[in-house]
Amino acid sequence: MSPVVVTAPLTGLIVPLSEVPDPVFAQRLVGPGLAISPTPQRQTILSPIDGRLLKLKPHAFIVAEGRTAVLVHLGIDTVLLDGAASSLIAVEKQIVRAGEPIMFWDPILVEAAGLSAICPVVALDAPADAVADLAHGEVVAGAELFTWRERIYG
Amino acid sequence: MAERRVVVASAVGLHARPAALFVTAVTKIGLPVTLTRRDGRTADARSILAVVTLDVKCGDEVLLCAHGDDAEAALDRLAELLTHG
Repeated sequence: MSPVVVTAPLTGLIVPLSEVPDPVFAQRLVGPGLAISPTPQRQTILSPIDGRLLKLKPHAFIVAEGRTAVLVHLGIDTVLLDGAASSLIAVEKQIVRAGEPIMFWDPILVEAAGLSAICPVVALDAPADAVADLAHGEVVAGAELFTWRERIYG
Repeated sequence: MAERRVVVASAVGLHARPAALFVTAVTKIGLPVTLTRRDGRTADARSILAVVTLDVKCGDEVLLCAHGDDAEAALDRLAELLTHG
């Protein structure tokens, strides 16, 4: 397969998954990738790859193309907010392009609720070495975040 | 073939975090395991994507199936994990 470029769903500061305050993400049990500490302003959240919006919740979504599936989790334990920080734009099962708006999301509301607004962006069902060219520092929504080199499964 | 019917306890259903823990446990066991909903939809329990896409909610009954020498003991462990959220 040709490598898939995963782009940033939001604007902020890139941090390693190991700094996510949730051991399941920090230990990469969900998959390899990066996290973004969001710039504290209401943001338009973008699709990280071309594909189908397989799952869409106010606190997380998955875009998948074949076996390449990327999970974006908007903050930690944010399922508890019951959608209060989000306003959906796209609909579940919709075909989206990388960079297409998925929802509006406000990290300020997440932090005001006492939760971490850090956003893991991970490759599902991927071995750790499938992710390469990881970006560093500040990232703007839509810019390259990392490359998924292989679709390995099973 | 070993089978277990269990009711999923995780308050948010089998979504990112509980699904990752479950799939990690399945992968450690090293046997092919399937997860089937009451409506018959089934997923490879070694794939987070497949498990999350199955959209299992808290309180849903699911069927775990495995083949192999240690399948009975393996499903006991997995059933324990699912029923304790």
